[in-house]
Amino acid sequence: MILKLNTDIAAGCFGLLFCALLWFPQSDLGRLSIIFPRAILVITTLIAIALLIKGLFFSPEERQVEITGSPRRLLVVMAGFFIWWLLIDILGFAVTSFIAIYLLCWYLARVQGPVSTGQLLRWLPIISVIVGSFYLTFRHLLNVRLPAGLLF
Amino acid sequence: MEMLLQALASLMTFESVITVLVGVSAGLLIGSMPGLTATMALAVLLPFTFSMEALQGLIALGAVYMGSIYGGAFTAILINTPGTPSSIATTFDGYPMARQGKAFEALTAATLASVVGGLVGVAFLLILAPPLARLAVAFGPAEMFWVAMLGLTLVASLSSGSLLKGMLGGCIGMLLSTIGVSPVGGETRFTFGFPPLQGGIELIVALIGLFVIPELLTMAAEGKGALPREGDFGKREASIRQVARTVFGKPVNLVRSCLIGQIIAIIPGAGGNVTSLVAYNEARRFSKDPESFGKGNVEGIVASESSNNVMVAGSMIPLLTLGIPGAPPDAIILGVLLLHGLRPGLDLFTETGVLTNGFILSMGLAALMLLPVGLLGARLIHRIVIRTPYYFMVPCIAMVTILGTFSLRNSLLDVAIMLTLGCAGYFLRLIGIYAAPIVLGLILGGIAEQGYVQTMLAAVTDPFPWLRLLSNTLSKVLAAMVLLGVATALVPIWLQRSGRLDKASPDKRGEP
Repeated sequence: MILKLNTDIAAGCFGLLFCALLWFPQSDLGRLSIIFPRAILVITTLIAIALLIKGLFFSPEERQVEITGSPRRLLVVMAGFFIWWLLIDILGFAVTSFIAIYLLCWYLARVQGPVSTGQLLRWLPIISVIVGSFYLTFRHLLNVRLPAGLLF
Repeated sequence: MEMLLQALASLMTFESVITVLVGVSAGLLIGSMPGLTATMALAVLLPFTFSMEALQGLIALGAVYMGSIYGGAFTAILINTPGTPSSIATTFDGYPMARQGKAFEALTAATLASVVGGLVGVAFLLILAPPLARLAVAFGPAEMFWVAMLGLTLVASLSSGSLLKGMLGGCIGMLLSTIGVSPVGGETRFTFGFPPLQGGIELIVALIGLFVIPELLTMAAEGKGALPREGDFGKREASIRQVARTVFGKPVNLVRSCLIGQIIAIIPGAGGNVTSLVAYNEARRFSKDPESFGKGNVEGIVASESSNNVMVAGSMIPLLTLGIPGAPPDAIILGVLLLHGLRPGLDLFTETGVLTNGFILSMGLAALMLLPVGLLGARLIHRIVIRTPYYFMVPCIAMVTILGTFSLRNSLLDVAIMLTLGCAGYFLRLIGIYAAPIVLGLILGGIAEQGYVQTMLAAVTDPFPWLRLLSNTLSKVLAAMVLLGVATALVPIWLQRSGRLDKASPDKRGEP
């Protein structure tokens, strides 16, 4: 997908928004804590303004950005990652990861054609072994206290 | 000399050689997993050394350290994901080479450079430890500030296409580094009333998010793997001998990178991430073909990998002589030394000289061991990456990144930060703000702030406090080097824009 977008203006706007986000919470801080961030904030603002000026007045031709592949798949996988994160605390790491990997595999494999029931059944032990081995290694060998949630 | 020979004899036992072999293999395995750092590898394997004798324990940890730093190159080259922070610069040219079907060449070059780097580091440690340690003490806050600034000049070469966007990325990284408790003032900053943010943004979290997640999203959107399935290992095109000829055919790059690695390694706190980035920058700056960097130039890999492996032994200099860890993993080595009743200082080289020299020499053996272990491991890991379907690869790598991120501080917030930064990183890449300058800003922001604020604090009664930044010869030399760095980065751009550089062409490379 190709989007008509002047990347200089977009980067400048992003820089200004980011500075604005950090500019306001700095009023109560002491000199030693704010001296450095304030200097960087001022420099960032100047760079962002320079990018805006460059984009508005000096951009030679129309700019565009290209999102390679399917934007829908991109957004679905992005959302999938966040849902995975949300459910870890509720269902537990092992169960959530098993479900998330299984669903993501099914969704992504459809790009190469329909996924047969046989394939889905074959994936069950593979994904179980992958998730199980990582879970056991981290939980018991490396002593990482993985979120248990309702299940494990 | 007698001690050195005794140490060598104590190292040449079956038990010691096996310890080194197992340590290097374990380190390589852990280091090649994104999110699992050398520090974590050492921390995880530390309990296994408690029951060992002092020398065996130190040998094991030294080998793990060497293996894990080298292991980071594997995923950096094969899936554009630095296994450890010190292999960030390896991704810049390693991954493009792997995509061009030159994975074998890239991995072999990384292996050879790592072996040389490791051996050079050990040689430096044996010969130059005391005088270099004295130099490390001379680095005060002002000097550290200039070291950070010197690192930041690297933004110019990491900016793909637009210097302004690279600088914006670097500033964003520095601002991200200020989130949390101020290193000097002690106040909490930019947490938006959210206490878990007091710990700040962990470097590894940002690193995984900004490098791995955009790559996974790209693979998912494009519906194909990180490396083309038809792309082979590249062994037919280049043998080990040919790669060795390429690597050793340009000794200046190798020697320069090793020297940079050594000098930065003795500065406490700088770490391997800085060494590899600075060495990469210098390799690009002095190259006859700087345009090819970021597109698959083997010199970039050599610079990055040799310098970060020099750092492994190099950072032991302040540790063994002053008790100051040169890099985070060294703190664990210090713990083991203290556990066995060994105190850093002159005694370590006199009273327990055999043990200390044995430990140092074991790191040399570990560096040599990287060659067989690395070359065999390279084939195996490459085969796994190529043969695994992309629809398995994406969720499985995502799981490892989530695990790696969570296990750093047992924090699900870190996972959220990692995912948020990763998704933001994907869109920022589209508008020309790449991950590398942001990460560079994040690494150097803390060092620069601490150096700057401490200098200002010391100069509070001075009429012109900022002049304290240039109060001695070393800081003046470093400041001059920063100016020189900025000039050498900007002059080619100016020449290109003014049309005086004939060979100039618009830089259209992708992610550096």
